[in-house]
This record gives sequence, C-alpha cells and structure tokens, in this order.
Amino acid sequence: MAMAYNFHIIEDCLKCAVREQRLFCDLSREALIRLQNIKATSVYPKGAMLCLEGQPPRGVFILCTGRAKLSTTSSEGKSMILRIAEPGEVLGLTAAVSGTPYEATVETLEPSQANFIAQTDFVHFLQEHPDVGLRVAKQLTHNCKCAYEEVRSLGLSNSVPEKLAKLILRWAETPLDLPVKKQNETPLRVTLTQEEIAQFIGTSRETVSRVLANFRKKGWVRVKGATWTILNRRALESLVTT
Amino acid sequence: MNTPPLQSEATNELYEMLSPQLRGELARFEQVRIVPAGTHLISCGVPPEHLVIVNAGKVEITLNCSSRHAASLGYSGAGKVFGMRALVSGELPEVDVTCMESCSITTVPRDVFLALLKNNPQAYFAVAKVLSSDLQIADRILRGNTRRGTLRPRPRPAKTV
Repeated sequence: MAMAYNFHIIEDCLKCAVREQRLFCDLSREALIRLQNIKATSVYPKGAMLCLEGQPPRGVFILCTGRAKLSTTSSEGKSMILRIAEPGEVLGLTAAVSGTPYEATVETLEPSQANFIAQTDFVHFLQEHPDVGLRVAKQLTHNCKCAYEEVRSLGLSNSVPEKLAKLILRWAETPLDLPVKKQNETPLRVTLTQEEIAQFIGTSRETVSRVLANFRKKGWVRVKGATWTILNRRALESLVTT
Repeated sequence: MNTPPLQSEATNELYEMLSPQLRGELARFEQVRIVPAGTHLISCGVPPEHLVIVNAGKVEITLNCSSRHAASLGYSGAGKVFGMRALVSGELPEVDVTCMESCSITTVPRDVFLALLKNNPQAYFAVAKVLSSDLQIADRILRGNTRRGTLRPRPRPAKTV
C-alpha cells in the first residue's frame, strides 16, 4: 500500500477498511466497481485548492482522508468559512448536480487524499445506480442540516463571545480521545488558525484573540498549540442565550 | 372556486427533470387543491405524508431555532417542491413551510413517490437537483444575513390542529 504524508493511500475502494462508516462510500459492489473505473485518486498537501468559488463545475471530490474547509465571500465582501468537511464527504456536489458554478472554495486543512470524478461521469453514475442516488440525497440532506445548524447557532448570536462559546461547545461534541483524561475537562483538537476561526464566526482575528484571551484568563479554556481544553463548560454554556 | 386541472404538464423544479413517462405515472396519484393562508405545507418535526408542489401562491420557509423562536429563510412560490428531503432521507423536517396567501398545491403520496424512485433510479438525479436548490437557499442565507446578525428570532407559527 503506497504512502504519502504519513498516511496510507486508499487506491481500491473495494478494499477500503472504513468504507462502511462513510456516508457516501457504503455502496453496492456493482456501484463500487463502477466507481473504481471513473475516479482519479490524488493526494494533496495542506493548503491545496480543490475547487474555487465561481468556477464552472468540473466534477466532485470524495474526501478519503484529511479535512478541508469550505469558504465563500459574504455579501459584505469578507471571506467566511461555511463549514469543515470531514473524510467521506463528497465536495462540489451541488455544483455538479445543478450545473451551476461551485458555491464555495474548498481548501485542504491538512494533507489529504481525494478521489475526483468528472461531472458527466458522476451524473451517469448517479442515474444508473439507485444506491448512489440515495447516498447523494443523504449527503445533500446532511449538508443542508449543517447549513441550518450554522444559521441557528451563529446567525442568531449577536456577540462574539457567544459565537465563540457556541463553536467551542460544538467541537466538544467530538472530543479528543486521550489515554489519561481529567474529570470535568474536555480536550479538543483545534487545527484552525485564529484567522480561520474569525472567518468561521464572522469577526476579525484580533477580536477572536481578545475573546479567547479573556476565556483563558477566566480559566474557562486552556490552549496548548492545537489542543484546547474546556475547563469550565458551564461558564461557556452560560454565554449561549439563543 | 373551480379546482384547477391536474398539473402533470406544469413546470416545477422536479417535473422539469422527469421524463413524460414518469410524470404520467405520478399524475395518476396527484391531488390538486387550494389551501388557505396559514396552512402548514410542511411542519417541523412531523414526517410528511406527501410531496408538496406549489402551483401558485406565496409561502414562507422558517427554520426553528428553539422551542419558541424561528428564523425566516425567505419566501418561495410557484414551482417549488417541499418535503423531498424528509421523504428521501427518512429524517424529520427542520423547517415549517407556511402559506402566506391562498395557494394552489399538488400533492403526491409518499409511498407512490418512493416506489417511483425505487423502480426508476434515474429519477434520483431530479431529486438531487431539488435538494441542491434547498441547500443553495440555506447557503445564501449564511452568506447574506447571518454575519450581520440580521436574522430576527420571532415566535414560531402555531401548528394547525
């Protein structure tokens, strides 16, 4: 098995060990054989642009390993992050299906493997296999649910401390699994920069820095590199009013 | 008020992607009716029994944010299809779709539509297009409104009994 950037490249979807855990990839054998024929596997470094907002749709990217951020430009002209894509997601789906330009720029947050499928091949694939169609529908449903959650949690919050608290609490839903954990502490892995966090919640890097420093000063959060630890969850929850 | 004729030839975001044969299959089970203002076409948390197509009239889509507040995602009208996401995924709707005025709608029973999809997998492309359009609405809201905090919480619409 080939390796790149310290992870194994998954060349054959039929032999993928995590296929059944992925929203899109858990397909019938027949569909997987077809997928194997139409996909092109590539490995990307951190910061690679898989597609650009406004670009005509070329196809979709199935994110096999790694994570990517989906960002766009707000009506005020500011760059904002819509969400973070996890392994198993199909990126560029809306554009490929509707034939409209990509709605967001997709940039890898870490070394990643993505399988590219050209638009016409993907549309035929969808039309010929009912299980693919169902998976696409589920992926779009999942994306819509994420978008609604963003609208709920961030759009209705008026203060930056509330938005940041909400974001941290959302990350806490998938905490780091450490061998030794202190009671009442929740460790998180945060690979976003403060600039990216600012783009996520619609504010400036300086404001994020100031608010986070305040959280740390009050003993609510501890930050050590990419590991953040929630020390006082109740205090963060008390900030959330909407 | 006279009941409008069957809408199998009408343009809506789903039917324009289906073949005449599939439209004809659905037409056998369609029901067209006029509903008054205030009617919930889709209710948050309630599994839909039908796919609902708006033929005429204006509807509002609201996203429920808490037990007491909802946020408007905007308005829609003729040609829009509702209930697709919940029918296909099996998940409960997260939005309310409410008629702002008297609306003409076409409904297709859930089981009929799902059977059509099962027997005609090419129809999933049409489904995907409808779902993509829903997602584009949500993304537009995120881009345009949320960062300024202009979504205004308001009381949730009362459920119809």
